Amino acid sequence: MQRKKTSFKGAKNEKNSIAPKKRSIWSTIYNQRYLWFMILPGLIWFIVFKYCTYAGLTFAFTNYGFRDEVSFVGLRNFSRLFQSSVFWNAFRNTIIISLCNIIFYFPFPLIVALMINELKSLFAKRAVQFMIYIPYFFSWVVVGCIFVTLLSPSSGVVNKILNSFGFDSIYFLADTNWFRPTLIVSYIWRQMGYGAVIYVATLATVDPQLYEAASIDGCGRFRKMLYVTLPSIKSTIVTMLLLNLSHVLLIFEQVLVMYNSSVYSVSDVLQTYAYREGILSGNIAYSTAVSLFVGVVSLCLVLGTNFASKKFLDDSVL
Amino acid sequence: MSQTKVINNHIKESKSRIVFRIINTILLASICLIVIIPIWNVVITSFAEDKDVMGGVYLMIPKSFTLKNYAKVLQSGYMDGFLNSLFVAVSGTILAMVVTVPMGFVLAQKHLVGRNVLMKLVTITMVFDAGLIPFYVLIKNLGMIDSYLSLILPFAVSTFNLIIIKNFMTSIPKSLIESAKLDGCNDFTALIRIVLPLSVPILAAVTLFYFVSFWNRYTEVVMFINSNSKYTLQVMLRALVFQSDGSLGDNNIVYDNMKMAVMVLGMLPVLIIYPFVQRYFVSGLLLGGVKE
Repeated sequence: MQRKKTSFKGAKNEKNSIAPKKRSIWSTIYNQRYLWFMILPGLIWFIVFKYCTYAGLTFAFTNYGFRDEVSFVGLRNFSRLFQSSVFWNAFRNTIIISLCNIIFYFPFPLIVALMINELKSLFAKRAVQFMIYIPYFFSWVVVGCIFVTLLSPSSGVVNKILNSFGFDSIYFLADTNWFRPTLIVSYIWRQMGYGAVIYVATLATVDPQLYEAASIDGCGRFRKMLYVTLPSIKSTIVTMLLLNLSHVLLIFEQVLVMYNSSVYSVSDVLQTYAYREGILSGNIAYSTAVSLFVGVVSLCLVLGTNFASKKFLDDSVL
Repeated sequence: MSQTKVINNHIKESKSRIVFRIINTILLASICLIVIIPIWNVVITSFAEDKDVMGGVYLMIPKSFTLKNYAKVLQSGYMDGFLNSLFVAVSGTILAMVVTVPMGFVLAQKHLVGRNVLMKLVTITMVFDAGLIPFYVLIKNLGMIDSYLSLILPFAVSTFNLIIIKNFMTSIPKSLIESAKLDGCNDFTALIRIVLPLSVPILAAVTLFYFVSFWNRYTEVVMFINSNSKYTLQVMLRALVFQSDGSLGDNNIVYDNMKMAVMVLGMLPVLIIYPFVQRYFVSGLLLGGVKE
């Protein structure tokens, strides 16, 4: 009853002010008060958990961490950082692992999606997507555990197969030569379905008339794929590539779950380095400098890829 | 003349097409097998007797079936971890939906004053992240270390999910909301009565995403939780498999079947919910989030 009354009142007000455009901004905000109440929790969340962390980045310029009184030290943390060989090793590992992840992973989902698209039966299409999408919902811990058991030197299937061909067992997760390939394979295993499902959904939006036109022009399957399918999903391909590129420095949980001290030299990435320095050793200011470095470089990567996408695709990713 | 050529061409193509389809099916089937076999192996091993998994390879074909491993796991500390994880995931998902859905709805209202500024505020957080350590210091200053709040509150909004919801709700005709308002709804009741029933697919998908992200969380648990009794299953599972924690076995030896039983516990909720919501994101709902 109450609600009806107010809405009636609102309608009357609108009648009085002949042109609604002339209403002041405050009365518009008042009219949208329910919207503001609804967005308030989310806004507070963004301010507390996102924007307050930005303020925390200033620790990078202090000696926060060990001593009680915090004082400003300028760029000392950064000069220490850039002189540290551990940092540069972590930086190199991050770039190598991430780029390998992208290079070896990237073609898979696209190829699988094109293959799924060629299947005739709708049921088969659905079934394949259903299955390959499952690992994406497993945590890196579960994926890591699955790989540990498969690759175990004593009882793992992979090493049993190697043994039966006369090779020695390989300690995949403790051998510096094999750790990175293991990371990449597990990355592909987990993420392939996710990418493929996105491509399949995009492929479904391609206008069938284009294929008909192409067959009338005498295109075979392969040329149809080359001249119709790929150009139609070009923007999704580039978007996925750019998103991957902009996350190059952020690789973390997968490594944190799977690495151990015997492979630090090849597996320590920037995030795990910051984690060990800051949280395990308590060197907050120094590791904030690492975080800031990662954040700024990632920002540049995102903006750069967005610029590239605008330039080459006339389509902004952001 | 030209007609016969076309017909010939057609027959030839259909032959090569058959070969192509056979190869294609075989390749796809083997990809599916590569994905499924490791999971299947985990499941069957978790039901195996000790003697079958000792030393040898246990692959593909189950040799024995016993619930003994699960009985043992359910009585151990891993059950507490499971319940901890479940508590965090369920309460976190509820909170996240309660915060994210109205926010997505509001951001979808084009007439909202200051909408562009709000969208900018959200987008900035997507392109620039302060990173691990400032986040840790914030949680510490908020006094949430070693409390489940640190695993729930900071993850109440995922920008990706927010944008998926916003994009979907932008596509709902404005006239529907306006006519609801004429019938006496305000923005809030319009959301509940009109928009939410129309958004069931997207809500189902986002709920699953949130649940999975809470359930699977590992790094932050290691960072923020100190007491063993509060550890979630993921942390305990990693300790069991990677560091060979011996608390489950006799003489500190844990056979694979026991580890796999814990692992099944670690993927169980996700595997149960997944089939019900899978059709929603196969239909392409994710694209909105990826494009933004």
